[in-house]
Amino acid sequence: MPFIGFVGLVLVFSILTKGRILNPRNISLMLSQVYVLMIASLGVFMIMTVGGLDFSQGSILGLTSIVFAWVSPHGIVLGIVAAMLAGALMGAFNGFFHVKFKIASFIVTICTMYLFRGLCEYLTTHGPISASLKVLSLDETWLKILLTTIVITIGFLVIHFTRLGYDLRAIGAGEIAARFSGSRPELTTFLVYTFAGMITGFASFINVIRVGSITGTAGSQLETQILIALVLGGMPIGGGAKARFSNIIFGSLTYSVLERSLPMVFPVSATQQLVKGIIFLIVVALTIDRKSLRVIK
Amino acid sequence: MKEVVLRSENVNKHFGITHAVKDVSLEFYRGEVHGLIGENGSGKSTYCSMLSGIHSISSGRFILEGKELHVKSLVEANMNGISIVVQEMGTLSGLTVAENIFLGREHKFMHGFIKDTAQMNRETQQLLDSYGLNRINASTVIDNYSFEDRKLIEIVKATYFEPLVVTIDETTTALSQKGREELFKIIEHLKETNKTVIFISHDLSEVLAHTDRISVLRDGALVKTVNSNEVDADELKRLMVGRELDNRYYRTDYDGTVSDEVVLSVSNLSVPGEFEDISFDLHQGEILGIGGLSECGMHELGKAIFGGSYDRTGSVLLPRKGLEITSIPEAIKHGIAYTSKDRDNESIVLAINIADNITLPSLDILAKKRVLKKKELHAFAQSHADRMSVRMTGIKQYVFDLSGGNKQKVVLARWLGRDSDIFVLDSPTRGIDVKVKADIYALMSELKERGKSIIMISEEILELIGMSDRILIMKNGKFNGTFTRSVALTEEDLIAKMV
Amino acid sequence: MNETISRFKRSKYFGYALLFGLALFFWAFFKILSPHNFGTSKLMANYLQTSIQYAVGGCGFYFIVVMGLFDMSIGANIVLSSLVGVLLSRQFGYYGLIFGCLLCGTLIGSFNGFLYTRLRIPSMIVTVGLMLVLESVAAYVVKLDPAGFPGKLTDPNILAFNHAPWNYIVAVSAFLLMAFILRFTKLGTYFNAIGSNEFVAKAMGINVEKYKFIGFVLLHFFVGIMALLTVSYGKGMLAVTGMESMGRNFKPLMGTFFGVAFKKYGMPVSAIVIGEFIITLIFNGLVALNVPTTINDFVTGAVLLIIVTLTNRGARGSVVK
Repeated sequence: MPFIGFVGLVLVFSILTKGRILNPRNISLMLSQVYVLMIASLGVFMIMTVGGLDFSQGSILGLTSIVFAWVSPHGIVLGIVAAMLAGALMGAFNGFFHVKFKIASFIVTICTMYLFRGLCEYLTTHGPISASLKVLSLDETWLKILLTTIVITIGFLVIHFTRLGYDLRAIGAGEIAARFSGSRPELTTFLVYTFAGMITGFASFINVIRVGSITGTAGSQLETQILIALVLGGMPIGGGAKARFSNIIFGSLTYSVLERSLPMVFPVSATQQLVKGIIFLIVVALTIDRKSLRVIK
Repeated sequence: MKEVVLRSENVNKHFGITHAVKDVSLEFYRGEVHGLIGENGSGKSTYCSMLSGIHSISSGRFILEGKELHVKSLVEANMNGISIVVQEMGTLSGLTVAENIFLGREHKFMHGFIKDTAQMNRETQQLLDSYGLNRINASTVIDNYSFEDRKLIEIVKATYFEPLVVTIDETTTALSQKGREELFKIIEHLKETNKTVIFISHDLSEVLAHTDRISVLRDGALVKTVNSNEVDADELKRLMVGRELDNRYYRTDYDGTVSDEVVLSVSNLSVPGEFEDISFDLHQGEILGIGGLSECGMHELGKAIFGGSYDRTGSVLLPRKGLEITSIPEAIKHGIAYTSKDRDNESIVLAINIADNITLPSLDILAKKRVLKKKELHAFAQSHADRMSVRMTGIKQYVFDLSGGNKQKVVLARWLGRDSDIFVLDSPTRGIDVKVKADIYALMSELKERGKSIIMISEEILELIGMSDRILIMKNGKFNGTFTRSVALTEEDLIAKMV
Repeated sequence: MNETISRFKRSKYFGYALLFGLALFFWAFFKILSPHNFGTSKLMANYLQTSIQYAVGGCGFYFIVVMGLFDMSIGANIVLSSLVGVLLSRQFGYYGLIFGCLLCGTLIGSFNGFLYTRLRIPSMIVTVGLMLVLESVAAYVVKLDPAGFPGKLTDPNILAFNHAPWNYIVAVSAFLLMAFILRFTKLGTYFNAIGSNEFVAKAMGINVEKYKFIGFVLLHFFVGIMALLTVSYGKGMLAVTGMESMGRNFKPLMGTFFGVAFKKYGMPVSAIVIGEFIITLIFNGLVALNVPTTINDFVTGAVLLIIVTLTNRGARGSVVK
């Protein structure tokens, strides 16, 4: 169903923009926003499958981008590793408070959203942090596509061919029963938040090579973009068995198409947003699987 | 005397393609306690929930005191004099006792849109006192009370306004001995005041003891209505199942040989507030029954043995492997299986399919070098579901669609798949119809023959006597007696040690 | 003795004691560190006035959070209702300002509630979409403002709610209204019932859809009141897009957390008001300590996390998502 939504959207906007969105330059621009979104959505997909939420992803992206920009002069790969470690630490922080103290995930991650964002702003008080020229020279489309494909493929393989994927769905569908069947909900949930942070840390690499310098507001709103993207892709908000990997791919693509096409059809930014909101509501109303949601909250 | 207060004419209920209630026409007399029995899926709960406004009627009608009944919700039913005490939890956490009892019926305390809370609390307290429940405080949040007290409050809620007909649906299984006595007292009182009680239960001896007449439903249709003093349990079972029930329901062997080899050794096991200092050995090929009243702690014991308790002290050892079990993953890995009394929350994951449920505990052994293949998992699940004869549309069916008996079969299928050696079965046949019960007993005997060992925790005394090699009785969290399998063993022997 | 202690611990006196204790603690902490810039009686009055606007929003939020719902469009409402109020004030003075804010709030609440109950989409998601729509509408409304400085309240005669006593009067009225609703109407009971177990509530004949709708209307009505205070304090409002209005969601939400945490003591309204005051204390304390404003967010997050950890923990063995 989300696939049809995606194709339908592309068709509609192709017509409205008289085919402009299909020209290579526009496609490339559209894709430029998809990489970070899709990679970060992979992590949040796992979190949402177990029934949680994460509002701190944008702040994590900002902070890990700073880490990368700092470390990368000593080596690009080292920088990536450092960013991933930093992201993992932040994710683990989220996971710890959520699992150990049993605080609702949306509350914990709203708090850490502020926490990490504050650090971001503090570290950029004296101005944006720039990446080295060597890093900027890496801003090649083929590289970004390659990296994104690798990450997504790894994610796909792990979720479908290891027990993690099965555990995630079982824990999302019925945590207590899953525990009595041998799953380890606390450990798995903790790990999933850590992974999500780590994955976003990797995405920061792509983010930095694209924007070049990091300001205090780097990555802001990413968490809401991820939420919208996944939902557009058909992801059930409570997770569980109906979560599908395709939610990540079609969701991110659909979101990016929207983002790129709207300005071409509606030049006024307020109108763009209005249309975006209406399309979002329509798509969700049509694609949401109401049968598996026993209670709609 | 034999005035008909309520009757149904050709009542039907369809859930999609399922024809749950078929053309049921029944009569209920004023002042009688009318038992309603049948296997799972026989339609008894659905019939009563249509009467009570919880479900809509597909066709047919109910006639109360000569007038047709039109109710669209529980509150409307209440206003017409019909009420029901449901099987599940019927009270709401976060609200006070008074708010719970008067939920939906606050109008007598309303002045316009303003609510007189103080008055509501006062009246509730009076009510509770009149039922002998003055230990319960009307203005306290209901969360502070035990499950059983909450059930009693629910019973007050369903009966205080003098309804004409009260349905009591499978409530006794949730209550302790004391709670059941209080419930039967209330039923007696209702009878004395010429009210009608529809009593649904799987406990046939209870139904025979407390009802005037019994109606048997099978596959959604009425089989027969009989007078309680003219039938016995076997006759009822025959009516429920529709064929001569095999006498070999339970085990029939009494030679009593059990191996000396100890497979599981429990030492000084305690969980504060639940049970204390429990020690016993389980031998190979043994079926060890553990019995007692609902709150004696045996259910928590089962959970604790499997590793599912917090605050557990003492030890659970597997002497053959020289290992101690401290967590659920460990227990599963070393061959222990567990079915919980709370099947829907603790044994089976309702919102995933049968295949995932069956394969979940076995994922680590099914993985070759950590890789799992869907086709292999499905084949695995299919073969074990077939072995247990699960009635399903396919292994990709979601479990919440299945009946209680079939859900239990799925749970057992998963442990067969794991090839567990030690089975801790808590209330394995609770809420399950007679046919599936027989299947489960047969499975237990088969496992025993294959050298597997079973701990069976049960509140059904006949089950314990019929199936166990040894029975341990618990009372108030401690051990209170042992019995060995014997033809001479009676229910009274066990009950003496339980209460 | 133990019985009395445990009963006290569950009573509302304990709740008050905890809250006042916290407030006192933070006041003392910052006062000692920065005696002249913080916590003087004049400054305390400022803190109070700042916090009551968020508390009003927090009260509204409480109604739906208690039912397990959420609303991401509160910030967008504040912006839109403020601008509508400003627009109407050009023609109708105070009547326009007040009516504009409150009416706009109520309409938004009805709209939200309607979409939620009709489309049957989870509240978190549907309100994200609504936020996008409301922000855009706000941008259009600004364009309709004929005044020289669109969106700004430059006339000093329209700023009564900017200071005492009118801001207090508005806020206290809102608090009293909420307390009244919770105590003397069925709404409080029904909202709790729906939040506890929607199925059972429905079986009891409670029209769940109707009460969820009412919850949204109440929420946004209260947010409309908050908008009145906010636009008066800020002497105007700026329209934003790009989901930036979400930043305004969180200060009221913090108060709501206090309300939910202290629900079991039976005093949610007080908890929200005092809680917002405590948060304002902390912020101003940091400013007084010359902590760079960039670290503001960090401290917000940290303090909130600590408070929630101490008050909102789940029971052992429970499932928390």
